[in-house]
Amino acid sequence: MAADDTQLLARLLAGEQQAFKELVTTYQSAMRAVAYAIVGQRHVEEVVQDAWLSVVRHIAGFEGRSSLKTWLLTITANSAKSRYKHNRREVLMDDLPSPHGTIDDERFSPGDGHWLVAPFAWHQDTPEALLTEGELRDCLEHTLLNLSELQSSVLLLRERQGLELEEICNLLEISLSNVRVLLHRARLKVFATVEHFEETGEC
Amino acid sequence: MLTCKEQVARSSDYLDGQLSFREKLMVRHHLMFCPNCRRFMRQMRLMQATLKAMPEKPEEGVDALAERLAAQRRDDSP
Repeated sequence: MAADDTQLLARLLAGEQQAFKELVTTYQSAMRAVAYAIVGQRHVEEVVQDAWLSVVRHIAGFEGRSSLKTWLLTITANSAKSRYKHNRREVLMDDLPSPHGTIDDERFSPGDGHWLVAPFAWHQDTPEALLTEGELRDCLEHTLLNLSELQSSVLLLRERQGLELEEICNLLEISLSNVRVLLHRARLKVFATVEHFEETGEC
Repeated sequence: MLTCKEQVARSSDYLDGQLSFREKLMVRHHLMFCPNCRRFMRQMRLMQATLKAMPEKPEEGVDALAERLAAQRRDDSP
C-alpha cells in the first residue's frame, strides 16, 4: 500500500473527521464520474451516498491490495450497478452533436486525406494561459455537458483523474475498443471547442 | 505513409500508448514531415493539460458528510 494511503487509512479507521474530509475532497468527483457513467445524471447523488456508506461499513476490511482510489471507485461502480441491476443501461455509443462540432471528415481532402482547413494555431501555449480567459472555461463546461454521459465520464476519468484505460474498462464494464472510441470522439469535440474559441474569441 | 486524416484518427491511441510498434512508427514518421499534424498533436496535448487544469467546482456539504461518516465509523468500531 502507498505510504500516504496507509497513513490516511489509519486515521479513517480511528474515525477522525478530518481524514474523512480529505477522503471526500480528494475522491468524490472521481466517484461521481463513475456513477454518472453507469446510472446517469439523475441518480448520481444517491449512488455516491450509497457508496460512502458502503465505504465506512467495509473500511476495516480494506487490505490494500489496490490503491484506496481504485477501491473507492470499485465500490462506487458496484453501488451503481446493484441499484440498477435489473435495468442496467446499455452501453450507448451514441454520438451527440457538439456545440462547436468536431474534427471530422470535412476537414480533410477526400482525395489525398490532407487537411483542407489546417488546425488553427492557438494563441496560448500553456493551460494556465488558456484558462485565464474565463469565457473559455465556461465554453468548455458547456461542451462537456453536451457530451453523452459515457463520453464525458470516460474523458473525465482519463484526463482529470488519470485512470488507465484498463481501469476504466473494468469499472464501467465496457470493452477497451469502446473506451478508445469514446475517448477519441470526446477529445476531438473538446479540441474543436478550444479551436473555435481561439479563432473567434467567443463561445 | 499515413494521410493527415489517418494520423488524426490514430491520435488518441497514440497519446494513450495503444498503438502497435509499427503504427507508432508510422505516426512518428508522418509527424516528422507534416507541420499541420505536429501542430494538431501539440494542441491535443495542450487540450488534455487544460482539461486537467480546469478548476473543480467546490464540493458542497463536505463537512457535514465527513462528520456523518466519521461518526458512523466510530459507532461501527468495537
